Amino acid sequence: MVYIDSWDDFVERSIQVFRADPHAARYVMKYRHCDGKLVLKVTDNRVCLKFKTDQAQDAKKMEKLNNIFFALMARGPDVDISEVTGKEPLEQQASKKGRGRRQ
Amino acid sequence: MVLLQPDPFLNELTNMYEQTKEKGSVWVTLKRSSMKCKAKRKKLENSGEIIDYRCLVRATNSKRTISTALSAKDYLRFQASYATILKAHMNALKKRERKDKKKNTEGDKKQADLKK
Repeated sequence: MVYIDSWDDFVERSIQVFRADPHAARYVMKYRHCDGKLVLKVTDNRVCLKFKTDQAQDAKKMEKLNNIFFALMARGPDVDISEVTGKEPLEQQASKKGRGRRQ
Repeated sequence: MVLLQPDPFLNELTNMYEQTKEKGSVWVTLKRSSMKCKAKRKKLENSGEIIDYRCLVRATNSKRTISTALSAKDYLRFQASYATILKAHMNALKKRERKDKKKNTEGDKKQADLKK
């Protein structure tokens, strides 16, 4: 159980873990309002990366990570991550229905 | 484990966050899944590679577990609503009081400040 101090390091390594084994990897988030603590975990049942915080700013960063993982998991590990908004690479866009809500 | 549609799931998730304000935790897990059992998956894999994967989202407050499966079409809308719910409920976290530089020095995310 490794707690990672750097957010960016956590993000990068967790994406690597997911891409290495998309079927086994999962992303877990635990929030305790009474303690004001947020813990994130990414694991493939062999490697485990964790990140804990009590800072509101990290919640914002976590939202971005959530978006990344949603895209990776719903569409596939080969999706090109263009960081949050505009996560649609050109090849994917053709097959989807009109989804230009943000544009 | 209750499997719901995305919208009821979001409603239940909101309830969970509200119920655990004083005590308790909420876990949310995201995982890629085909929602099929291993035998079926093997069969599909052997015949042709058309396994449709979805994003499985589970939430629990250690009393009740709910889940939903998102396809590539639903996830954007879900993601937006989910972010709204989180923003609305995760307000027990500390606001940043000092500059960022201090945070970066020793991985200060854990707060040397304790309860202040």
